Amino acid sequence: MESQALFFRERAAEKACDPRVQKTLQHVRPLFVGKRKKGMQDLAELGMDFDKLQQSAQKIRDRVVKNLDVWLELFEAQAQATGAEVLWARDGAEVARLVVELAQENGVKKVVKSKSMLSEEADLNAALAAAGVESIETDLGEYIVQIAGEAPSHIIAPAVHKTKEEVADLFVQHHGLPRQNDITALAREARGVLRQHFLSADMGISGANFLVAETGSAVLVTNEGNGRMVTTLPRLHVVVAGIEKIIPNLEDLATLLRLLPRSATGQGISNYVSILTGRPPLEANASGVEGPQRMVFILVDNGRAGLLGTEFDSMLRCIRCGACMNHCPVYNSIGGHAYGWVYPGPMGSVLTPLYTSLKDAQDLPQATTGCNQCAAVCPVGIPLPELMRALRRRAVETGLRPWSERLAYKLWAWAATHPVFYRWGVRRAVRYLKWLAGGEEYIRVLGMAPGWTFGRDLKAPLGKSFQEMWADRKG
Amino acid sequence: MRVALFVTCLVDVMRPSIGFAAMRLLESAGCEVVVPKSQTCCGQPAWSAGEAVAAQALAKKNIVDLAGFDYVVLPSASCAEHIKNAYPELLASELEWAEKATELSKRTYELTSFLVDVLKLAVVPGCFKGSVTYHDSCKGLRKLGIKQQPRKLLAAMPGVFLKELEESEECCGFGGAFSANFGEVSTVIVDRKCSFIAAAGVDAVLGGDLGCLLNIEGRLRRRGDQTKVLHIAEILATEEGF
Repeated sequence: MESQALFFRERAAEKACDPRVQKTLQHVRPLFVGKRKKGMQDLAELGMDFDKLQQSAQKIRDRVVKNLDVWLELFEAQAQATGAEVLWARDGAEVARLVVELAQENGVKKVVKSKSMLSEEADLNAALAAAGVESIETDLGEYIVQIAGEAPSHIIAPAVHKTKEEVADLFVQHHGLPRQNDITALAREARGVLRQHFLSADMGISGANFLVAETGSAVLVTNEGNGRMVTTLPRLHVVVAGIEKIIPNLEDLATLLRLLPRSATGQGISNYVSILTGRPPLEANASGVEGPQRMVFILVDNGRAGLLGTEFDSMLRCIRCGACMNHCPVYNSIGGHAYGWVYPGPMGSVLTPLYTSLKDAQDLPQATTGCNQCAAVCPVGIPLPELMRALRRRAVETGLRPWSERLAYKLWAWAATHPVFYRWGVRRAVRYLKWLAGGEEYIRVLGMAPGWTFGRDLKAPLGKSFQEMWADRKG
Repeated sequence: MRVALFVTCLVDVMRPSIGFAAMRLLESAGCEVVVPKSQTCCGQPAWSAGEAVAAQALAKKNIVDLAGFDYVVLPSASCAEHIKNAYPELLASELEWAEKATELSKRTYELTSFLVDVLKLAVVPGCFKGSVTYHDSCKGLRKLGIKQQPRKLLAAMPGVFLKELEESEECCGFGGAFSANFGEVSTVIVDRKCSFIAAAGVDAVLGGDLGCLLNIEGRLRRRGDQTKVLHIAEILATEEGF
């Protein structure tokens, strides 16, 4: 997917001022936050402690991230031993090429997909379409954004920006059936349409929430059941997953499963947890055997290896639960599309600059209030605010910031380390601000920071600084 | 007990009354309060912008200025957190400075935390009468564990009725330069905060960080809401009304 992060600032402002976007966001926000809170209360009632689980989960993820090469080779060997194939892709384009080749070799006309953000990174649907292969997204939200010609706005709730009326309109347009008005009926209609696709598809493509090195398996955590259809009905199953998705063993999976659904949707466990493992090739004319004949893993780098051994490697712990965005005041004010690439919210503000370009995406890590809510809810303890700050520092140190801003900070820092001059400057500033208020209590328009007075007044200072008043008092 | 009062750059410029209120509170608790004349800024704006060199220079300056006091107290959790957590990190590669930073970190406190956790203050001079609500600022809450301290101090004022604010732990949308750089986004965030303040229907909204308070007050006034916006130090220390 081509990044549009360059336009983040304008898009963010546009979304913040769009009443329709705002209405949906304000409606959705308490749902996610409330569900996670409930999930954590349940966890406590079961006698488990979030902080301790978080530490264990962090350890599990770090164990892999610190020695990723070793774990990848182990996984590859295990997967091959069970009869699956393992392919490697350096970037999104290679993923697309490998999948298209597999489709062509196997005479695939139709692909069904369960949700995979990595396939968004690789722009896989576009590549398949260009090769004449029909690909159908089968996660309900992802299906909705696919027929709407849009990108997901949230990593676990792709169509969260759409109202049910918009979905009803889309379904009338694409299914040619009578209009349904309630969510259950709409879901039932989509299910009917998708069922035909499941039965007629030649290839299923899924992502993986985890790859278990011990067993060479892919783990899928889903709620709708479409993941099972995609991975069991077509004759060929392709798993597209990032190289960082490895976990050592099934015991580690148990720990992570206590946190993932609870962090994402507040559920104690998702409706489906599938552990999918390959099998040896079938004898010709084998009968009574169900499931795909071939299972192929495509393990993708696309920028991930570049984080290893750097100050950003903790980002590779991420298990894609979405809690950081659900709790982010910025995400909740602009929605996912403003971010301009695959991943929105705090994790996107770190990943997009690292996986695409810091130069073009440098506004993303600037868009933070530093509230630390994302770090507080992260189930694997990723210090997201610190990583965003490290990116801002990198932007400064690699000369990406405007010279005027750099000069302003240099002058300010010089003044702040020269107190006599600083106090002189403060005296001027205080009088200037008071003058700007023109005898009123509040400043309505602030020329040097118009962003502040866009939606706020500024209470004018009294006309003397604290230091001046203190000096006066002491006499 | 010699206490250095670091009023913060924002209080120095925008609302000196908070500095005097903090001084009064500390003095009423028996501290010898010193206002180092050389104080400017803690350096957080630079560190936040990724300007590490400037932030390091400010950290060193303040380590020198604030040496020799028993405690350093700030009427801002955000600035206190910067001194406590960022200074040691910023100077980690310079051993001698790193040790000094860690030493300063240990004796630096946010005001309400100092009054409650260190001084165990039970009586406050303020005599405000009316209903109030409290906004928990992010750095204080999530980095310094400040939640009960301001509430304990308010409970010592018989005329004050505290009504908890819905989503009191959510960010107000200030974020320093963020509020000016992303004005539209920041406005959406603070507007939600102001809706809950309006719904609380109190005489005053209180907080411990002037940045948040300027943001909240600015939005309230733009919405035509005249609810008073006060720093916790002001209400705890002031005998007259507002």
